[in-house]
Amino acid sequence: MDTLRLFSQFIRGSIRVVAHGGAGYYIWLAVLGVVMAAGLFAYGNQALNGLITSNMRDQVSWGFYIGNFAFLVGVAAAAVVLVIPAYVYNWGPIRDVVLVGELLSVAAIVMCMLFVVVDLGRPEFVWHLMPGFGTPNFPHSLLTWDILVLNCYFLINWFIVTHILFMAFTGRDYNHRLVLPIIFLSIPFAIGIHTVTAFLFMGLEGRPYWHTALLAPRFLAGAFCSGPSLTLVVFLVLRRIGKLSITDAALLKIGELLAYAMAVNLFFVGTEVFTEFYGETAHTVHARFQWFGIDGQSTLATYSWLALAMNATALVIFVAPSLRNRMPLLAAACVLAFGGVFIEKGMGLILPGLTPDALGEVYAYGPSSTEVVVGLGIWAFGAFLFTLMTKVASAITSGSLRSESA
Amino acid sequence: MGTPRNRRVKQAGEAPEPSGSSRRDFIKTAATVGAGAIVAAPAVASGFDFDLESFFQKNFRELSEEELDALVKRLSRKYSKKYGKDVSVSAIGPMDGVLYGYGLDISRCTGCRRCVHACVEENNQSRDPEIQWIRVLEFERSEALRGIDLKDGNPYYEHKEVPDEGKFYIPIACQHCEDSPCSKVCPTGATWREPDGIVVIDYDWCIGCRYCMAACPYGARHFNWAEPNVPAEDINPDMHVIGNVPRKRGVVEKCTFCIQRTRKGRYPACHEICPVGARKFGNLLDPESEIRYVMKHKRTFVLKAELETKPKFFYFWGTEGRS
Amino acid sequence: MPGAGNDPGKDRLPGNQATIWGTLGLAVVVIVGLSAVRLEHQPETTRDYPPRPLIADGPAVMKPAPEIDDEYLPCRDCHTSPDRQTGPIPRELEYEHEDTELAHGNLWCLHCHDPERPGRLRLADSSLVKFEDSWQLCTQCHAKKLPEWRAGVHGKQTGHWRGPKEYQTCVECHEPHAPPFGTIEPKPRPKRPDEIIQPARISGEEQHGDS
Repeated sequence: MDTLRLFSQFIRGSIRVVAHGGAGYYIWLAVLGVVMAAGLFAYGNQALNGLITSNMRDQVSWGFYIGNFAFLVGVAAAAVVLVIPAYVYNWGPIRDVVLVGELLSVAAIVMCMLFVVVDLGRPEFVWHLMPGFGTPNFPHSLLTWDILVLNCYFLINWFIVTHILFMAFTGRDYNHRLVLPIIFLSIPFAIGIHTVTAFLFMGLEGRPYWHTALLAPRFLAGAFCSGPSLTLVVFLVLRRIGKLSITDAALLKIGELLAYAMAVNLFFVGTEVFTEFYGETAHTVHARFQWFGIDGQSTLATYSWLALAMNATALVIFVAPSLRNRMPLLAAACVLAFGGVFIEKGMGLILPGLTPDALGEVYAYGPSSTEVVVGLGIWAFGAFLFTLMTKVASAITSGSLRSESA
Repeated sequence: MGTPRNRRVKQAGEAPEPSGSSRRDFIKTAATVGAGAIVAAPAVASGFDFDLESFFQKNFRELSEEELDALVKRLSRKYSKKYGKDVSVSAIGPMDGVLYGYGLDISRCTGCRRCVHACVEENNQSRDPEIQWIRVLEFERSEALRGIDLKDGNPYYEHKEVPDEGKFYIPIACQHCEDSPCSKVCPTGATWREPDGIVVIDYDWCIGCRYCMAACPYGARHFNWAEPNVPAEDINPDMHVIGNVPRKRGVVEKCTFCIQRTRKGRYPACHEICPVGARKFGNLLDPESEIRYVMKHKRTFVLKAELETKPKFFYFWGTEGRS
Repeated sequence: MPGAGNDPGKDRLPGNQATIWGTLGLAVVVIVGLSAVRLEHQPETTRDYPPRPLIADGPAVMKPAPEIDDEYLPCRDCHTSPDRQTGPIPRELEYEHEDTELAHGNLWCLHCHDPERPGRLRLADSSLVKFEDSWQLCTQCHAKKLPEWRAGVHGKQTGHWRGPKEYQTCVECHEPHAPPFGTIEPKPRPKRPDEIIQPARISGEEQHGDS
């Protein structure tokens, strides 16, 4: 009963915290609000008229939405990248910021789920794949596995942050015997969400571009680039606005980790390109579309080379200590890596798999305005969620939000 | 988990699963009140036909005989009223000892696309936006010297007369695979292979995730990107629940071997229209059938055999001395 | 932030516990990997259909050809005249036969038609058959086609794959005087993906009594 009373205090306190802030905070929320409203409006248009408002067609039946989904699964690894050094190696400077990483993961998974839902033709029937209500095709459909691991990963992260924050709110230390095993459980699940999401694509024997064992490792490598990159930039921003105290040492450590991740990521891209083109077969047509374009349709090829250039530049900065140790350069490299991986593991992964289509037709897909606006709306919602959660977290950890009894 | 139970192996006299049905009944009652109001409001507002009964309808495979009977009657009434003609929706099941097989003689096909349009009319495919289950690819004979590669095919050919000089044609629709990648990946079990080999879709159960379209190696699956539209006068009133009933927006559809015809013994529509007799259809389990004659006497091949999807759609070169 | 002020060693997981978690994770991966072998083939789950015996097969009948008799072909009207006698030597077709394209190997009219009984067709052994049995004439040369046609593989059948079906005879599809197929006009091509656009919305009036 006492806990319940405290929890309602916790909720009310949190609401109070998110409702009050400086001018910058309100402006930021207003901007996000406008984008979210635009996204909602665009989705309303899509819901009313159907997915014909997208540029997806039978030839390319997945596009911007699923691309964002695949990419954001990677971002959701942000937490685990911090968890490993913080807890496995007990490295203090990072352990202080694990919570922010967890919040980022929660926001990213929510965005993942939203991107899947907006891609559905009949979202009102999602209950058809819930056990008990519907008839999930488990274990045969990898999509049911993906839903399972994504939800588990979401619950794990959500539970950890809520528990830690709530305990801090009540002025107590969190329950180590309970939290630590769960934190450790999040490591296999973080790897699980990438592996299973990659399996979604790898398991399709009819799509040779995806039907490669390297896809899951590539997902992981990409995730270890995009997640920490975003985390690092977020840390810098939070430190600038005084919401987070994090040492340079911790940031540089993340930068060092990014050097490894990006090197492995580019290595995987290289091996894939070699396999495709050195012994070229009929299946290479997809890689050809990705890197050179077919029938003059080379927009994706331009983006692919751009992504490669961005990733390569980022790698140079990450690897050279003299460059990496300059904070503005490190931040720029993170932005480059994030953008590069967004192209490479988003649309750069989905579109070549589906183009040319199963019957060899090349349809040069690019997202429609509806898709882009809906996508932006979801990103804005993710940022909104993260902002509110971080605000509460920082209020609690800084001690300005405490239970009356504490 | 809740995968549709394999009812074919269920022991006779076994009690129906009470937990499942009572749980569903409870959910049904509870959800009708709450979710119904939420879901129905925008659906009604946007003018699409919507009723709670169909919203909470079970997977086709889990409907009891009585429920299926009620569904068939309800749909017949609904569409008779909607289209102003005597629509008969059936759920006629597979015949014992039948496995359908299709043969297509590529030495004969002239690429006239009559099958494509007969199929559209028979199966109530949306006219606008256009959905066509059969796609006819045109190939250069000279290019086929290095083997048939589907990416050389052109579905958009326009000639005054066909066959065009130096070309050959391959019509492609659902291959009705024995190991169908589409049904394996479907997260809701909305698509499956029937005992007579027809791969079908429960249009009321499909959520429109399009995973099956990514999985299909033959481009056979088509999505209703917008509200499908068939003029009432063009509606084929002879319908099957998992065949050619009018589809809804946001679901996937594909060839069903004209299930509403073939299960009554008739030839599919594409077979009947073909002006050159290039299409052969029959029971693979009957040694006297046309399709078995083809298998025995002609050299047949299947598309993308290396994927081992085991299609039941066979292409063959039927004419000696014709090149 | 939590944990910051704690004893640094407190959060460290004991080595053996880390080993347990690692092993568990590995085991899960191995099990999932191995189960993929089982997952490759999905068991066929379908409705519990009641047994439905194979329906009765029906007769296979030939599509009836129009009855053609001697009166219908008033050949004698002309061919009795001395300068319009039929003959075995191929020559330019004229008058009534001007429009007949004769392109069937080296065949000439009298290989198939009987000058005395124009309502009949003449087989190689001089016996006469009705026009509706023309397939007997065709298969004298195209003998290999006969079993295929009978099996339903050469030519076209309509009706039922199981039940009554109708065979088209040779001349239903092939013009006997010039049998190879000609060309025909194709139906319209499919729309390209970028041509499939949102249909103009039916505003106000609900089409086809849609409620």
